[in-house]
Amino acid sequence: MQQAKDLPANPPQTRRPTFSASNLYGYLFVLPILLWLGATILYPLVSAVMLSFQDVGIIGTGGEFVGLENYADVLTSDRFWEAGGRSLVWVFGNAIVQTLLAFITALALKQVFPGQKIARTWIILSWIVPTVVVVVIWRWLLNASGGIINYALVGLGFIESEIGFFSSGNSAVTSVILINSWRWFPFLAVIILAGLQSISDDLYDAAAVDGASTVQQFWHITLPGLQPVLFVLGLVGTLLSFNVFDIIWLLTGGGPSSATTTLPVYIYETAFRKHSLSEAAAMSVVVSLFLLAFAVVFIRYAAPRLEED
Amino acid sequence: MQRSIAGNVVLATCLMFLFVIVILPFYWIFSSSIKIPQEIISLTPTLVPQSFTWQHYGKLLNSSDFLLYLWNSLQVALGTMVITVVLSASAAYGLYRLKLPGRNLVFQIILITYAFPGILLLIPLYGMMSRMGLIDTIPALIIINVTFAAPFAVWMMRAFFSTIPVEIEDAAALDGANRLQILLRILFPLAAPGVASIAIFAFIMSWTEYMFASVLIISDERRTLPVGLAGIIGQYQVDWGLLLAGSALTAFPVIILFALVGRNFVRGLTAGAMK
Amino acid sequence: MKRLPVFVLLIALLALVVPATAQDDPVEVTLWHMEQPPHRVERIQELIDEFNAANPDVVVSQEVQSWGDIYQKAPAAVAAGNAPEILFAIPDFTPILKEVGGLQSMETFIEEIDAEYDFVDTAVEPYSYDGGVWAVPMYNMAHSLWYRESVFEEAGIEVPTTWSEWLAAAEALTTEDRYGIGIPANRQLYTDQTVYNLMINSGADEIYNEDGTLRFNNPDTIAAFEFYNELSQFSPPDSPNWTWGEAEACFASGGCAMIMQFTVITTYDTQAEGIAEDLGIAPIPVMDGMESAGTIAYSNGAMVMTDDEAKIEASERFLAFLLEPENYGRFLNMEPGLFLPVTAAGSEAESFWGDPLVVKYQSQVEQMVANSQSGRLFGFTNGNTFPSIASISAQNLLAQTLQLVVIDGESAEDAVAEGQALMEEAIE
Repeated sequence: MQQAKDLPANPPQTRRPTFSASNLYGYLFVLPILLWLGATILYPLVSAVMLSFQDVGIIGTGGEFVGLENYADVLTSDRFWEAGGRSLVWVFGNAIVQTLLAFITALALKQVFPGQKIARTWIILSWIVPTVVVVVIWRWLLNASGGIINYALVGLGFIESEIGFFSSGNSAVTSVILINSWRWFPFLAVIILAGLQSISDDLYDAAAVDGASTVQQFWHITLPGLQPVLFVLGLVGTLLSFNVFDIIWLLTGGGPSSATTTLPVYIYETAFRKHSLSEAAAMSVVVSLFLLAFAVVFIRYAAPRLEED
Repeated sequence: MQRSIAGNVVLATCLMFLFVIVILPFYWIFSSSIKIPQEIISLTPTLVPQSFTWQHYGKLLNSSDFLLYLWNSLQVALGTMVITVVLSASAAYGLYRLKLPGRNLVFQIILITYAFPGILLLIPLYGMMSRMGLIDTIPALIIINVTFAAPFAVWMMRAFFSTIPVEIEDAAALDGANRLQILLRILFPLAAPGVASIAIFAFIMSWTEYMFASVLIISDERRTLPVGLAGIIGQYQVDWGLLLAGSALTAFPVIILFALVGRNFVRGLTAGAMK
Repeated sequence: MKRLPVFVLLIALLALVVPATAQDDPVEVTLWHMEQPPHRVERIQELIDEFNAANPDVVVSQEVQSWGDIYQKAPAAVAAGNAPEILFAIPDFTPILKEVGGLQSMETFIEEIDAEYDFVDTAVEPYSYDGGVWAVPMYNMAHSLWYRESVFEEAGIEVPTTWSEWLAAAEALTTEDRYGIGIPANRQLYTDQTVYNLMINSGADEIYNEDGTLRFNNPDTIAAFEFYNELSQFSPPDSPNWTWGEAEACFASGGCAMIMQFTVITTYDTQAEGIAEDLGIAPIPVMDGMESAGTIAYSNGAMVMTDDEAKIEASERFLAFLLEPENYGRFLNMEPGLFLPVTAAGSEAESFWGDPLVVKYQSQVEQMVANSQSGRLFGFTNGNTFPSIASISAQNLLAQTLQLVVIDGESAEDAVAEGQALMEEAIE
């Protein structure tokens, strides 16, 4: 939004004189990060693709070229698609919970109240501690023998006796999604808060004068104003949360009975438990292609158009 | 803007809810970590500790290289921070300040880094690091952490460069300053809040990373805090006291850090976003 | 941090005292093991320091690893050429590293040690196949049933020896704030172990036929899975997600009346009452009608993973040092009562029985040793060794089969049939 207003203020001709020279120059500034990402992503990616056409079992052993065999196995495997289904549940679950919590938090922190500055700093607490600590915290809180949450729920009469949060499929999935969301929502909230700040108060005031309700203001001013922010959060957040591995692995190991075996967990198991490295590589490549397809579609339809020159 | 009473109630409820879910768990970890073992594993939890002991902390510091892990984590995080700031700030400058043609495409390519599962990269990276002699070294972790911190940092940084009036730069250019000088002397200081934000972002991303650190580091002397803590978790015995003390000590340094610079993180982000 | 100065000091001292040897670089030997608890690391370090002091031409150092990631780390390290010289392992793990390459057969060395200290044969067997012995047995671990005498007295029941008594006891001991038994159901090694305990005692200890085909799907296995499911109703709600540690903690807090575990002695002594007379230990009960009880037991071994003659010699010297009766007991007692001797000389060693905690819990340790005599390990039973078991245990297929029953509610027949199918796929 604000870009649209800014553009006339920066008429292109003020930059024309150095345009072509600064272009080349400008790419020099971008080059380092591209080289860095190329070396750390592209090179391993190519190795993984090569691995996926072989039949390497245990990491470190040799293999022979088998063409598309691994891909055929992966694409016809029920377990792969089941894991894919769980990944979708995981991504959507996280997206819904985190978006909800993050919006509530951001809108609350935008208000003026005593201690607002402190609250804005410390809301982020759960994001700044390592995953391993998050895991210890929640295992401790959810413990069935003497854990505070079970104790409180029993004491308040919500449940009759202690429950094992990771003992049945549905409650394990729910618990892990909530814990991962707990870790990430404050960060999203702060980014959204920053986005909210960029929306001019005048817009709200004008809308209020026109008699728009709070809900209408949210849909017609807040959301459009946040579009650039939400676009990037939607893209990066989806990709990052799809690829989450450590918190699931450390909390449930993919269990009980595969209920939390999302694709990254399944790939890990295939590579290091089943010792079928090439099959795992093929899965990763398939997953990457899906994510790339998602990213392309998402960028195509959700990218804020006003940003491009 | 004046709030109605209902508005106040809603706000207070939200804030209370956030306090309970974000802050209380940390209180619970810390207060439990100073209880004696019998009280920790007691079936009736005590909100206020009935006993007091530093024994778990003592045991932790005596029997594991916790301070060394801390030092390693600091090195990795600081290294990641510096490189991320340099790479991202210059890329953001190039993309958004110089208004390069096709910059959105380049930016999207950078963001797509996140499409590749860490698991996918882990094995080839191990081989690559090994050939470069980087296995079991701090730089190996810095290299991979930058990869996952820098792309998002570019985006965080972009707002700042578009908030600084172009005229300042043009004036400096007229005075004969070259691009690098302009970037370092004029733009960086102006974008300082943004730099602070991405520096903290990179620091935290690196501080919390577990998977690569657990595989690329072999010797005890070079472990980072999360891996060291995971080691204490072990599998054979659950010494909750040790574990809780370890968690508290692992969280403590970033909490201190955040107490010192946390304001800048949030303020930096929001400052950049304001027109 | 704490170890480094000792090291530096030692090397500095050596450089001063023995200039002759200091000119040749000492042979460096790195030991990887998965004994993470700090006191175990400390004990191993003590022994290493002593060895290094007595052997100026060798420098041994340890790196503690975790079972959680060793399956990816060790093969990757071998492939990248930075594997340790010595790696502690269980029989399931050895075939994987053998396939990656670099394992030395320790046959000659084992014969030498055997002549001197007399290895327990069943400890060597799981490592003997394909014309070599692929690890040096270092210690034995076996499950027992742990309980509190006072709890049984209070309930007025006897310690169970058969499954019907066991189930009745679990039911009788379940009260308002205590569960009769704590048994896991997650896809983890601990569950493999507790499941196999029941399989042994229902006569299903053989997973393989003589010819190497699978015989997992049989009525005895099904009986074991059915009984496990019955027992698990008296187990805490979060027990499906347990590993060893949670079970031990539950026992220590009094929340579980019985658990199957290698040992609970240290935890019981430091985190619970610590009353030696009250800590009960019994063999795993048998299915009604079965004769003799058995239990899961692991012979843990040390693999030597280098081609370098000097390093092999240095590694062997270090392992021999650990197996010397004067040192061996102290090595085993890094976790008193958990690690049992694998040599005849070791089982009489003063250094083993002299540990204060072992003195205090002597009758329990004696019972553990007795239980371990009837120890068995899936895939390595009755003198037959099937290295392909590594694929079955790496994927925890016993535990996965159990989950089908306990978590997903399938019948034991269906689950065991499905389990056998999974195993066949794994070893093909």
